[in-house]
Amino acid sequence: MWFLLWLKSSPVMVFYGKGELLAAIVLMSFGSFVIYEARGLPYHSEFGPGPGFFPLWIGIGIVGCSLVMLCANFFRGGEVIEVSRVELVRALSAWLAFVLAIALMPLIGFGLSFGLLTAFLVLVLDRRSPWLAIGVALGLALTFHLVFAVALGVSLPAGPWGF
Amino acid sequence: MEALSNIVLGFSIALTPANLSWCFVGVVLGTIIGVLPGLGPPATIALLLPLTFKMDPTTAMIMLAGIYYGAKYGGSTTSILLNVPGESASVVTCLDGYQLARQGRAGPALGIAAISSFIAGTFGVLGLMFIAPPVAKFALRFGPPEYFALMVLGLTMVVFLTGRSVARGILATLFGLWLAGVGTDVFTAESRFTFGRKELLGGIDFIVVSIGLFAIAEVLINLESQSGAEIFKVPKGLRNLLPTLQDLKDSRFAFLNGSVVGFFIGVLPGAGSTIASFLSYGLEKAVSRRPEKFGTGVIEGVAAPEGANNSETGGALVPLLTLGIPGSSTTAILLAALHLWGFRPGPLLIQENPNLFWGLVASMYIGNVMLLILNLPLVPLFAQILRVPYYVLYPGILGVSIIGVYTVDNSLFDIWMLGIFGLLGYFMRKLDYPTAPLVLGMVLGQRLELSLRQSLMMSQGQLSILVASPLAAGMLLFAAILLLVPMLNWVRSWRVKAIEQEV
Amino acid sequence: MKRQQFHFTVALLLGWVFAIPVIVCAFEPTKPVDVVVHTAPGGGSDLFARAIAEMLQKEKLVSQRLLVVNKSGGGSAVAMSYLEEKKGDNHMIGFFTGVWVTNPLTTKEATVMIKDLTPIVRLVLEPAVVAVKADSPYKNMKDFIEAAKKSPGQLRQSGGSVTGRDNLVRLVIEKATGAKWVFVSFPGGGERIANLLGGHVQMMVMEPQEAGEHIKAGNLRVIAALTEKRLPSFADVPTIKEQGIDVPIIPQARGVLAPPGVGGDVVKYWDGVFGRFVKTPAWKKYLSDNQFEDGYLTGNGLNKFFDDLTVQMRDVLKEAGVKVVR
Repeated sequence: MWFLLWLKSSPVMVFYGKGELLAAIVLMSFGSFVIYEARGLPYHSEFGPGPGFFPLWIGIGIVGCSLVMLCANFFRGGEVIEVSRVELVRALSAWLAFVLAIALMPLIGFGLSFGLLTAFLVLVLDRRSPWLAIGVALGLALTFHLVFAVALGVSLPAGPWGF
Repeated sequence: MEALSNIVLGFSIALTPANLSWCFVGVVLGTIIGVLPGLGPPATIALLLPLTFKMDPTTAMIMLAGIYYGAKYGGSTTSILLNVPGESASVVTCLDGYQLARQGRAGPALGIAAISSFIAGTFGVLGLMFIAPPVAKFALRFGPPEYFALMVLGLTMVVFLTGRSVARGILATLFGLWLAGVGTDVFTAESRFTFGRKELLGGIDFIVVSIGLFAIAEVLINLESQSGAEIFKVPKGLRNLLPTLQDLKDSRFAFLNGSVVGFFIGVLPGAGSTIASFLSYGLEKAVSRRPEKFGTGVIEGVAAPEGANNSETGGALVPLLTLGIPGSSTTAILLAALHLWGFRPGPLLIQENPNLFWGLVASMYIGNVMLLILNLPLVPLFAQILRVPYYVLYPGILGVSIIGVYTVDNSLFDIWMLGIFGLLGYFMRKLDYPTAPLVLGMVLGQRLELSLRQSLMMSQGQLSILVASPLAAGMLLFAAILLLVPMLNWVRSWRVKAIEQEV
Repeated sequence: MKRQQFHFTVALLLGWVFAIPVIVCAFEPTKPVDVVVHTAPGGGSDLFARAIAEMLQKEKLVSQRLLVVNKSGGGSAVAMSYLEEKKGDNHMIGFFTGVWVTNPLTTKEATVMIKDLTPIVRLVLEPAVVAVKADSPYKNMKDFIEAAKKSPGQLRQSGGSVTGRDNLVRLVIEKATGAKWVFVSFPGGGERIANLLGGHVQMMVMEPQEAGEHIKAGNLRVIAALTEKRLPSFADVPTIKEQGIDVPIIPQARGVLAPPGVGGDVVKYWDGVFGRFVKTPAWKKYLSDNQFEDGYLTGNGLNKFFDDLTVQMRDVLKEAGVKVVR
């Protein structure tokens, strides 16, 4: 028992182990949620399984497998994978920008929100010049608008000004 | 001999200038649609229907069919170059295709995709021509128990997709199976896991999940580090931009595999090109000499699924033209189109309208040739996309993904799903969870549950119906054998290790 | 002379004064009209709407373009809430089917009822027939019922969703005759027919035009028509009532409605358009080609139809054991 704690506290392993552990815990709670919801659905129907049958067993499977993952995490031997914090932050901030763009889309339209997203990616993440950021943002947004909205007639989320 | 005169008749119709030009229009349009993620043949064909009223019905059918199988050619392009699946059936192509592109072999990958599509597409047309009626009759023997067995067979392919950790693979598959269950239960009209949102009542769209897991996640992974030099090597010289002789040799079984599997799966109503491509990929891996390399960039991992999704179009036309039964959403529209033009699709269609059938069949040959000629020279051109600087490429991928997803249902909710699955895909990559099993679980999950419950409904709860017919029992047996293969390999390698240790 | 001119001018002016409100109040669409359907492209409702839009524009009955907007998901739930959100939008119509009535009754998330929207016109009633394989022992409905009674729960029927018309038909017949058989849902129309032809199920309720070709080829046989009167294309097939089974005929209706809150003039405009439309030979040909029954109904008759249908559906569903939430 103490051996396991000592193993887990090793600094190099903590990071990857932490991520894996977190994932196993998240999955376990998700599996439990699925089981809970599945219990609310009828298990049997007229003949054979009802709508609750499959989700129940899927939930049980998820909980079971994540338990296995948890145990494997404790007994992890030599394999160590370093995870860089910087990389994680960069990727997540890109994702946040993406989500923000989606939130803005119904308000200011696809063109503008996508342009802003592009500008952010070029300027902040790629650390290029502001002029390049504006240029690429404008270029891409315009190209998409022309190719899809105009030439192909596909409707895109539009703000009050029509694009 | 009768077949010969029919073929001659067909070509005489297909080779008229009008039919040739509209065939060309169809395949080009289809390729473009296939390249664009999200937008697919059903929507396009439905949009173009009014235009077809002014045309001769045979010509119209030739064009619409061109869009149908042309899209399958185009779907592989973005899958290979950008890890963005252009079509549901191209998801499997992303697995090895994108890896090949990263190794600087985008050209050969694209080329093999085109060649395999051509071979399989031609096989599909040949099948449609010669063995359509008996194959259609055979397909009628597939009831719910047989579909269940087929889905189980498909799921055993997970074993071949897990890579390192089996537990992770199973978890991914289970999650995919759960995703398939979100929505409204067909049998009881109860809503499952919809969290009160009506957009989820129809279930989660597969293409949204794939684009999120593959494309968005890939962009996020690549944005971790600032882009410096080009990581994608784009070798110069035509020789490096086309498949080598070795590539062709490696893919010989894949060509056969894709053609046959795709065609037969296509004939089954309800089983689509996505299932066909997964099954073909899994089969290829099962019989391969280098199964552990799959997923890292093996050329036959591109050849097999790309072939399968092309011969599937030929297969899907079999029930449509021989029985008047539509097997997929695209064939359903084609059926409606035939009705609108005044035909009566059914078992007598071929006899009553030989011009339509044989003209169509002949034009499909021509269409496949056109597509090969179009696509192969374009390969070097497409490969140049990878030259685009990353700060343009990645926002571009995000934009195309958003647009592609929005065209599916005009729903902002879908775009949110894109964001959610993008994040999920990112974490899965970081934590070494394989994404392919998730996708497989989602594709097969719905029909797996459906056919199990249908079967048990039919047998009033008796499980024996699942192995009652030789067809179903045979497939389940095959699945069991396939499950044993890696186990035998594992035992063998363990024994080898034990022997080595002794020595 | 001058007095006559004066009177004439006054009359003219008065005429204009009265005409102006009519001209100003008469509605005419000034931009493309959205046509909302609840299926994906290629689905039944989508193709129906596209065909009608095409005919309307060909006959020049509508001056603007008609654009089909697909809002699929949750049966009709997504489409109905979309229309409800677009309250007062003059340039939008929707194509409804029977699902629009039953869906809100069984699905919690489908919060919009059909009466919340503005009904305009009912266009067709889709009849149905009972079909079996040509080599099956059932020559008429009675044979099938007898067989079902002898082995309850052994015979199978293929169909769509449990809240769809084909299952509801089964439920009313079961109730009236005491026979029992299993309903197997298949999501796609093609599969339902394939399973019937393959012998995996014994019976199917289908639309006459679906059955037509298979009957001509000798694969299927129609044993009953689920209509009040015999169908013209199946003149030798007795109706279900003629065969002694007294059940209510459950209609599958299709028609047009508009978002809530549109003005009376808009409804009047569409009334006029469709009133003229159903008289055109193109429409009559479409009806006969697809073997639809002309179900033209507007105004109060239409409202009553929806009310009656909602009540009928609620009863049938409850009896079937399907959970009714509204």
